[in-house]
Amino acid sequence: MDLVLQLLFTGIGIGAVYALVALGFVLIFRATNVVNFAQGEFSMVAAYLMVVCVELGLPYWLSFVIALAGMALLGVIFNLGVYYPLRHRTYLPVIIATIGASILLSNSVLAIYGPQPQVLQGWFDTPGIQLGPVYLDSQYLLIIGVTIFLVLFNFWFFEKTLLGKKLQATSQDKEMASLLGISVSTMIMITFIYSAVLGGLAGILVAPVLFVSIQMGSTIALKAFAATIIGGFGDVAGAIVGGLALGVIETFGAAYISVPYKDGFAFLVLIAFLVFRPQGIFGERVAEKA
Amino acid sequence: MPLLEIRNLVVRYGEIEALRGVTIAVEQGQVVTLLGANGAGKSTTLRAISGLAKPTSGDIMFDGHSIAGLGPEAIVRLGISHVPEGRRVFPGLTVKENIMLGASNRKVSASQISREADAMFDLFPDIRSFSNVLGWTLSGGQLQMVAVARGLMAKPRLLLLDEPSLGLAPVIVQAVFRIISQIRKDTTVLLVEQNARMGLSVADHGFVLETGRIVLGGKPDELWGNEAIAAAYLGGHAKTHA
Repeated sequence: MDLVLQLLFTGIGIGAVYALVALGFVLIFRATNVVNFAQGEFSMVAAYLMVVCVELGLPYWLSFVIALAGMALLGVIFNLGVYYPLRHRTYLPVIIATIGASILLSNSVLAIYGPQPQVLQGWFDTPGIQLGPVYLDSQYLLIIGVTIFLVLFNFWFFEKTLLGKKLQATSQDKEMASLLGISVSTMIMITFIYSAVLGGLAGILVAPVLFVSIQMGSTIALKAFAATIIGGFGDVAGAIVGGLALGVIETFGAAYISVPYKDGFAFLVLIAFLVFRPQGIFGERVAEKA
Repeated sequence: MPLLEIRNLVVRYGEIEALRGVTIAVEQGQVVTLLGANGAGKSTTLRAISGLAKPTSGDIMFDGHSIAGLGPEAIVRLGISHVPEGRRVFPGLTVKENIMLGASNRKVSASQISREADAMFDLFPDIRSFSNVLGWTLSGGQLQMVAVARGLMAKPRLLLLDEPSLGLAPVIVQAVFRIISQIRKDTTVLLVEQNARMGLSVADHGFVLETGRIVLGGKPDELWGNEAIAAAYLGGHAKTHA
């Protein structure tokens, strides 16, 4: 029982990272009808930004702020350079452009930093606390805390603010939104900035748990992409639930079945969903696309 | 000076010439109805006015200034609100949210917009009880009410209404047209209709479009009076009306 609780904690912690990246996927998909294959590289770039700032001797919190500001800027550049010039084309050129951008980002970091993985220390000096039978790692606590905050923020932002409603309107019918005077290009810009920051946060938070490497982005993104399918593609709640479920499943799979096949469990679950419930846990809300 | 003046408007979609030199004028305070068969260019005319379709040549003057070539976001800020064909109510937003977003062209606070949206239900009492219901659950008539209410939230000087009667039961059509006759007290309206009888019943002036050209224009009585043309363009209603 103790082990189960311990695994559940770790699983939710890592699942929260997948959830954040998956949320970025979903928000961009809803706004532009395109899957952003560079979403994982957002996490990787943010982690490296963090490493650079910390190595320069900046305080951890300041590095954090700078890294997130850098991600917001990357969101702007990504929107203007990758999405905007192709916005009137079909989804295919845009998807290919995001793949191109992801290759550019990872190879740029490779050229600057080399292939050896970097280590980023955690936010807290204390490694964790013992709560009864369960050891709560401080970094996982931080990840879970930030994710809970962001899920609440996301709900408030999209459901309770006029700007959130304008973003939803834009994702549902761009032409109609523009007829009402909603600046569609601004709404999409905001979506890219928000998604880049979400992906960046995930990267920064998970960096002390994993190594900071060029490949970390694609690993996280693959899991997050699986999470969006498991949760129900295009569904915000589905991305969060799918991410958490995936984290828990692979942690338990690693503990009880096989450690080397840890990454495989995520995709086993994905295949099972694609075969038996392709619409995901929450199903696709078809009506919204009518 | 007319509030809206369209001169020699040509709109091409690739090889297809949807409008081939349309000239119409809408005076302040009027309701003007554009009639014509499917594909005659009625919706394209409205889309060109609101900036959704780019004019190939010709000019569109609103309040004395050319708006041809401006984008839809800029045009709605000038006070032209377009309620497009098919209602286009946001399916994943509630009725009230849809109506509130109609004020996106104006700089007003969210609480002010919320109050105005509540006041809008006085004009549309039938949808008041659906205020918190998602758009996709509504019936055609309800969607049309929401679409018009949303269009009015822009506080337009000119309201473009595209086929408000399309696909609605006769009793609902009458309700929609009652609202149009109420709107006209404050707002100039350019109405596109296939239902000539209803379209002309509220109009001060009518135009008939045929394959991208205006072939006839005049007061509703004159249009009905012209036997040959009434029979050809306005359908069998002409005789029953006379």
